[in-house]
Amino acid sequence: MRPGILLILSSTLWGQDLLVPLLKEQCGACHSGARAQGGLSVDSLEALRQGGKHGPAFTPGVSGQSLLVQYLTGEKTPQMPLGGSLPPGVLEKLRAAIDAMPTAPATARRDPHFEWLLRTPKANLPPTPGPNPIDGFVSSKLAKQGMRMAPEAPRRTLLRRISFDLIGLPPTPEEMRAFEADPDPKAYERAIDRLLADPRYGERWGRHWLDLVRYAESDGFAIDGERPSAWRYRDYVIRAFNRDKPYNLFVQEQIAGDEYRGKDASPPGDRLVALGFLRFAPWEADANSKKQLRQDLLNDITGTVGSVFLGMTTGCAQCHDHKYDPIPTKDYYRLQAFFAGTATADLPVAFDEVERPRERRQRMRQHEDAAEAAQTALDLQREELKKRYIALMKVGPDDDGLKKFLARLNTRNLFFLEQDLPLVKEPEWREPLRAYFATRDTMQREQELARRHQALAYAVRDVAPPAAPDVPDTYILAGGDLAARGEKVEPGFLSCVTGSSAAAEIPFAGGSNGRRLALAEWIASPKNPFTARVMVNRLWQRHWGEGIVRTPSDFGKNGEAPSHPELLDWLAAEFVAKGWSVKAMHRLMLTSAAYKQASVHPEQTAYAANDPTNRLLWRMNWQRLDAEALRDSILAISGRLNPAMGGPPALFNVPDDVAQGFEFFKWFPSPEEEQRRRSVYLIQRRSVLLPMAETFDAPNLSTSCARRQTTIVAPQALTLLNGSLTRTEASHLAERAIGTADPVGEMFWRALGRAPSAAERTQGQTLAAQGKPGLASLATVLFNLNEFLYVE
Amino acid sequence: MDRRHFLFGLSGAALSHLEAGTHHPAKADACIFLAMLGGVSQIDTFDPKPKLAELNGKIMDWSKEKKTDQPNLFAKPRKFVASPFRFQKYGQCGREISELLPETAKWADELAVCRSVQSDNGNHPAAVFQMNTGFIIPGNPSMGAWVTYGLGSANQNLPAFVAMPDFRSIPFSGAQQWGSGYLPAEYQGTVLRAASEPIRDLASPNDVDAKLLAAERDVLRTMNGAYGAHRADNPDLRARMDSYELAYRMQTEVPRVLSIDAEPEKVKEAYGLNDPVTASFGRRCLMARKLVEAGVRFVEVFTPSQSWDAHGDIRKNHEKNARETDKPIAALLADLKQRGMLPRTLVVYMGEFGRTPDTPAEQETPGRDHNTRCQSMWFAGGGMKGGSMIGTTDEIGHKAVENIYHMHDVHATILHQMGLNDLRLTYYFGGRNRRLTDLGGRVIKELQA
Repeated sequence: MRPGILLILSSTLWGQDLLVPLLKEQCGACHSGARAQGGLSVDSLEALRQGGKHGPAFTPGVSGQSLLVQYLTGEKTPQMPLGGSLPPGVLEKLRAAIDAMPTAPATARRDPHFEWLLRTPKANLPPTPGPNPIDGFVSSKLAKQGMRMAPEAPRRTLLRRISFDLIGLPPTPEEMRAFEADPDPKAYERAIDRLLADPRYGERWGRHWLDLVRYAESDGFAIDGERPSAWRYRDYVIRAFNRDKPYNLFVQEQIAGDEYRGKDASPPGDRLVALGFLRFAPWEADANSKKQLRQDLLNDITGTVGSVFLGMTTGCAQCHDHKYDPIPTKDYYRLQAFFAGTATADLPVAFDEVERPRERRQRMRQHEDAAEAAQTALDLQREELKKRYIALMKVGPDDDGLKKFLARLNTRNLFFLEQDLPLVKEPEWREPLRAYFATRDTMQREQELARRHQALAYAVRDVAPPAAPDVPDTYILAGGDLAARGEKVEPGFLSCVTGSSAAAEIPFAGGSNGRRLALAEWIASPKNPFTARVMVNRLWQRHWGEGIVRTPSDFGKNGEAPSHPELLDWLAAEFVAKGWSVKAMHRLMLTSAAYKQASVHPEQTAYAANDPTNRLLWRMNWQRLDAEALRDSILAISGRLNPAMGGPPALFNVPDDVAQGFEFFKWFPSPEEEQRRRSVYLIQRRSVLLPMAETFDAPNLSTSCARRQTTIVAPQALTLLNGSLTRTEASHLAERAIGTADPVGEMFWRALGRAPSAAERTQGQTLAAQGKPGLASLATVLFNLNEFLYVE
Repeated sequence: MDRRHFLFGLSGAALSHLEAGTHHPAKADACIFLAMLGGVSQIDTFDPKPKLAELNGKIMDWSKEKKTDQPNLFAKPRKFVASPFRFQKYGQCGREISELLPETAKWADELAVCRSVQSDNGNHPAAVFQMNTGFIIPGNPSMGAWVTYGLGSANQNLPAFVAMPDFRSIPFSGAQQWGSGYLPAEYQGTVLRAASEPIRDLASPNDVDAKLLAAERDVLRTMNGAYGAHRADNPDLRARMDSYELAYRMQTEVPRVLSIDAEPEKVKEAYGLNDPVTASFGRRCLMARKLVEAGVRFVEVFTPSQSWDAHGDIRKNHEKNARETDKPIAALLADLKQRGMLPRTLVVYMGEFGRTPDTPAEQETPGRDHNTRCQSMWFAGGGMKGGSMIGTTDEIGHKAVENIYHMHDVHATILHQMGLNDLRLTYYFGGRNRRLTDLGGRVIKELQA
């Protein structure tokens, strides 16, 4: 049963119609008519709503908070019914009836939260003027509490902070020394500019975006088939950040790149690749119902567009009106109607120059040739095996046993073959069968590699006139159920913003139907109250560790209210005024005193008592390195990070017993040097996450992730103490340091960007005295230090 | 957030949290979930259908059944299949159990059987997701993660939630089946392998000298201590140092708890460790007992993916799978009982769905296909009523007709027995408070002691 059906059932079977008759029967003797006990009458729903002397009898949607239930369960005394008890099942029915009621809808216009949120943000300057308006907003709020910001952090801390924030890697010793010695008052600003111009900036910030769009290079579900062209979207995103593509354009390309008509657009190829955004939902390739599969995709898009761009949990309105925010189910389907003509498609899209088309062609041909050669060899080997079987078993070519034997050669691996075909264990069969399976693996691997270089975009297209008679109609689906078609709807924007349910005007868009373009333009409009606010909040969140709204994909009533609404609005307006330039916003934020604060305040104890979660921003928040920054940094420090940008993903090693369990695909790890690329270039396969990343809170790749958890668990310690990444790279760092004049000092500089203290040097020496293994141990220690994992 | 995040074993507060975590007094401190992947046929185990003997081989008219789990299979004519297995009454309760499960049958008086559990999707991947998370789509926390989120751990040196797949064929979507979904990652299941290294990266590297390793630990401790001394305001720094101490303890504790070699020979024999047929499942059942004994909250033991999926030959398939699991499961129940652990340990036996009473007519060896309209599952121990039964299916065993329950209800029951109220065990994500039983759930009261 789908969720929706359940809801319908509950409202018809146990709905409010049932509440009154049930109560009348059980409680009517005392709670009825003009002299109802305690003023509570159960004669009608209205009477119940009005309640008795203690207040309304029920809270719609929340039985546990309903007085009625509280008295019936004895949570409040006297327990009802007085001196008696309810027949079995009645209480459950009452609870269900109350729970099934819609909670009181938020009345949009009168709620101060929505009055703020639904208004286009205004650029009001802060009460206290200053060189950076951010500081005016922050200090004036602090001043009201008699507080002030922490002093500026030491230079070393600042450089480390902006390096990790912008490129996800630590500064090199050379950069650190130069920065600390630089007398130029603009040195900090120059460092920011240098990092923003570094192509590794796009890799860092691209990864943040990939979290949001549930980016994955496979379908998920059981088969979890690979999406061999998905990486082009990843590279598009990295390029977009590096080129500082205006955010409004970035949004429009991902929703309607194929329909976009503006002059400032990217190369046409990029605009199609960008459409991958609409297609990253998990996909049940062997689903029984293709109609449902399509509906699931539309639901994913409707929910994801809402949460990623609008910061509104539109997905909640799929089955019923949103319980907290002014989004009726009708709006959900009006929003969905923009995508009614959208169908998944692998579009032929030539590689752009930056995607290295010649290399792609060459590699594809090379792998195709290798696959063909393997196929030829395989056919021969198969023929040999057949002859061998006939000879050894003394059977004819039409023997049933032979047929079964040949069929079993398609078993997915040797392990299963042994289960199916005990013959394999016999010495005269072992080698030829091993060889056969090795050839088959080669063939599959080469085919897989070739596919990753195809000039295709993992995208969508419109099935619209003239290709189809018309765009399919969209209906409200009661309870989200395909079988429960209700009113037909036209594409339309959120009515809480526009104030009406009128259909959107659909522009002409050439061969496509133009619906998505209409939505994209609405979202990317400076007037849209959500778009700019949501994005600047995401940028802020990555720099401060927490957003101004701490639920970055939920600006609604159930999310957390903004700590500095005026600041958020000013930033949003500034973002639009600066041409939606993300890099301009980084510069603005990073040059503020609020950002440059130390993470410890002189008045720490008093301030922490007053504002324990630092909502007022009286110091900088600590941030733990995320999985990617941690892994990439270890490789960078050991000098072995492979800097190659872009292209198909690298496959990491997985343990044999795990790989054996994959039923629908084989796992072919990439060459070692490719496995040392930045984490953003490792394959994002939904059923096979990089264990180290999983341990350090990487997202699950199936749903949009707006904010990663930072857990602290023992397996993380085990990974960093004993895992092959740390131990291997520690040994390489030792190698790197051993030839220098001061190996211990060299390793400290590389890992922490500073010289060791006298005490640390002494401790380091106790390990270093053991020669290279000792230095490797010291390197392991450095990779495990809190100082290494945390950015102050 | 209505429940504070708890990092297993990081503070002495572990036990007090345990008390604070429950909503009502718990009947069970731990749960062992035996996941029968592929779907066990109820008709051939716990739900005898003599009517099928009459109908055997007759063509079934499915034209009135609009919805089927596998439309492609049901498009063709189908014939009834009588169970090839004989049934017999067992125990004081007189439970009818087939000859497939002679060892489990001896424990009939400990089993609380539900013959009417339904589910929503007849495709393995989606169905396995539902069995573990309540939802047929990925991205949701598994029941073990929910329990751990609610209760924390009772052992400071072990993970609270352990998953033991059969590595010959792991469940669809792998780690997502015991994942934490949108819950913090600390609640995800830790995979224990029966192999030499039960937890990933548990063992120290063997190419580093033991003395050097000890020196390394000291230096790490000292340096972290010095760094934290001036930054006492950040509790995470301390927590991370503690997590290292826990990791070191795990390095000795986990191998100790899981050391099976030290078990008496008769225990090994009982679990079937000496027989290659039963060794895989048996070893993991024994590990489950040892883990629960050491304070682990939730252990899930899986058969190989799709192992019970008897489309082609019900007799051959079910005989093979019953042989692999029946003896170990009986040994587990016996062991728990003998150690006095059964009353506080909830054992659950369930697959992702049941099976059909019929097979495609063209098929020579009869099999059974997927059936979401009923399956038989059972609970044992943990405050459930041994020897009880609920739920009735129609005369051919095609669908539940009376006292119908859903997989969600099994989830609600597990939580309830462990002291958690499924309506109150919530986590805010994606705009609202979520639950394991978001799509429904009633405690199966008839089976409670």
